Amino acid sequence: MNLILDLLQQMSVFLVIAYIFTKSPAFRPLTSETMHPRHKVLLYGIFSTFSIMGTYFGLPVQDAIANTRAIGPVLAGIIGGPVLGIATGLTGGIHRYFLGGFTATACGISTTTEGLIGGLVGLALLRAGKAEQRFNPWIALVTILCAEAVQMLIIVLVAKPTPDAIVLVQTIAAPMVLANAAGAALFMSIIRDQRRMYDHFGALFSAKAFELAEKVLEILGPGLDRTTAAQMAHLIHSWTGVGAVAITDREQILAFVGLGEDHHLPGTPIVSPLTQRAIEFNQTVFANGVHEHFHCSLSSKCPLSSALVVPLHIDNDVIGTIKLYEPRSKLFLNINRSLGEGLAALLSEQLVHSRYQEQKSLLTQSELKLAQAQVNPHFLFNALNTIVAVVRNDADQARDLLLHLSRFFRKNLKRASDITTLEEELDHVRSYLYIEEVRFGDRLKVEMAIDPALLLIKLPTFTLQPLIENAIKHGISQLLEHGLVTISAQQHDGGIEISIEDNAGACDQNNEDESDGLGMKIVDKRIKNLYGIAAGVRMEDSI
Amino acid sequence: MIRALIIDDEQHAREELQVLLEASGEFELLPPCANAFDAIKVINQQQPQVLFLDIEMPVVNGFQLLSMIDEERMPQVVFVTAYDEFALKAFEEKTLDYLLKPVETERLQQTIIKLQASLQQGTTPYYEMPLLQRIPCRCVRRIKLIDVDEVESIFSDTSGVHVHTAEGDNFTDLTLKVLERRTSLFRCHKQYLVNLDQLDEILLQEGGTAKIRCHSGQSVPVSRRHLRQLKEQLGL
Repeated sequence: MNLILDLLQQMSVFLVIAYIFTKSPAFRPLTSETMHPRHKVLLYGIFSTFSIMGTYFGLPVQDAIANTRAIGPVLAGIIGGPVLGIATGLTGGIHRYFLGGFTATACGISTTTEGLIGGLVGLALLRAGKAEQRFNPWIALVTILCAEAVQMLIIVLVAKPTPDAIVLVQTIAAPMVLANAAGAALFMSIIRDQRRMYDHFGALFSAKAFELAEKVLEILGPGLDRTTAAQMAHLIHSWTGVGAVAITDREQILAFVGLGEDHHLPGTPIVSPLTQRAIEFNQTVFANGVHEHFHCSLSSKCPLSSALVVPLHIDNDVIGTIKLYEPRSKLFLNINRSLGEGLAALLSEQLVHSRYQEQKSLLTQSELKLAQAQVNPHFLFNALNTIVAVVRNDADQARDLLLHLSRFFRKNLKRASDITTLEEELDHVRSYLYIEEVRFGDRLKVEMAIDPALLLIKLPTFTLQPLIENAIKHGISQLLEHGLVTISAQQHDGGIEISIEDNAGACDQNNEDESDGLGMKIVDKRIKNLYGIAAGVRMEDSI
Repeated sequence: MIRALIIDDEQHAREELQVLLEASGEFELLPPCANAFDAIKVINQQQPQVLFLDIEMPVVNGFQLLSMIDEERMPQVVFVTAYDEFALKAFEEKTLDYLLKPVETERLQQTIIKLQASLQQGTTPYYEMPLLQRIPCRCVRRIKLIDVDEVESIFSDTSGVHVHTAEGDNFTDLTLKVLERRTSLFRCHKQYLVNLDQLDEILLQEGGTAKIRCHSGQSVPVSRRHLRQLKEQLGL
């Protein structure tokens, strides 16, 4: 009975050390799914130490040692697989062997065997796809119960003289099985809790990840090019702390930030087979640096060894990739892997959206072009006809008309830029109106009342022209005489009102062909784009 | 010499065509008209042989003007337009020709040849016209279009053709014959058309004549000759 209490006491000391271990950076490898060989070595060292410690904490009983040596190898086996289990067991076993006593050989063999048992359980769980169950304390408990039973059997079979061995086993079996089981279960539950804490940390990380995502989307707004790629890469790099971040299109590196940026240069073609694979098959490629390595083909000194390559795609077309790298000295964290994949998915969505926006604006532009083209023939031929007549009597006026006509068309053609000022719009319209005034003679008079303070306000190009043309085509030209077009621009309750008025009376909607309606709609749409939904074109009859 | 009338709402366009037509030496030009209202009057009074007609004109366009002309006195028509090729396509077969502004002398020459050939044949052109929806009327210093539906009756006397509505009398340059053919109004007397939708009652009189009373109380005579048709029309 005393033996049980003593063993449990030793186990408590053991567990305190185990607890401290889980708080140390050495615990880090246990939080990720894949294990670097380096980390396995580390775990080997740690669990071997626990195993040896278990021996030293043991209590001498009848020329043997009642101990908790088995916990190290069994847990190492469950977590790290048979190789790690056997290695740890062997170390603990050999150490025990040199301490001597009539059970030295038996204990050496049994400790190794126990490591193997733990390893087989861990392997079985992994194969069954229940990797997470490896950290279940109950499984550790059951495994070590079996392992200890096997140990007792080995002692009885191997230790000589056998009667002594039987007596020994009778004394130590119960306390050791109990102490080891409790110790292993508690140790495993400490590990599990610690892992859960890391998961909780992961949740906090996700919250911040949203913040990152939002910023990245903001940058991507105008689309993927070298500038936006560089901004995004910098942001992702500084935020995740990964070794390096790269963004590519289908052919070349758009941006590269972090370790190895001296030889991974933006503008150079993609050479990494991982990236080529990601682009070709539209799939995420992950070289974890353990089973699959990233080999830099540019420089043998490149420190990068693991990489995640996630394709960016619009619908099913891959248009580039985002790549995260870690150097040889660091493990590629799961959390960064999910982050990389999530970001790529988000960016792909955004790219679809911005392509849609782009097409929409192209549509508006082509509609505009169409409307511009539709304006011209009627006006042009009537203007030319007027000039043909005027030239007979008044060469100077004919010359003026031609100059205005040329000015009007030049402005029509030239105004590719989207935004202009009221002043320029009026200038454009004046040439048009000069010609129309000559054409209609007494039937058209134009009055302008423009607040000079407004001359520099911004307007989409081609805003006034369609409205004025509309006033002439459907207003003035339907009047037998005394047509008047008034153009005014005034400040108004915090807003600006530009009005174009004709005195032809109610507008006859039936009289308007489709192209005019389209022209008005485009003007309305473009003003709303510039000034927001509250602005726009309003038509009203003053009568 | 061909008696021609230019109808165009733009002064410069009128002048230019005038110069071209005069230069050809083939035309005797009537004073040009700036709108359809003036034109219909001149056409009815002076009977030009050919119209050089602009399509886009205020209130009543070139096509609409044609439907206001008496079929028996229908002149040859040459449309002159800046850019209405699509509208013209529909009309091409029915009109003699069309010219595009600015008019080229060579092109005009072809038109003149066509025109002379047509006039020598001596047939009156016929255009299929839609019904008139509105009747152009002349008031003092202004022009008014009256919906046919609002008209109660129309009558002609020596002073001209009068369009009568509930609001009063208006004077039109359209002939009674054109109005009878191109509107749904019913000829009830040698000098009268009546809108049967405005009819209140028919008072039969001795001698086989009758009087129609309209909504506004106006009385319209029905001649013996037209009473029978009126009864048929009304299904009596």
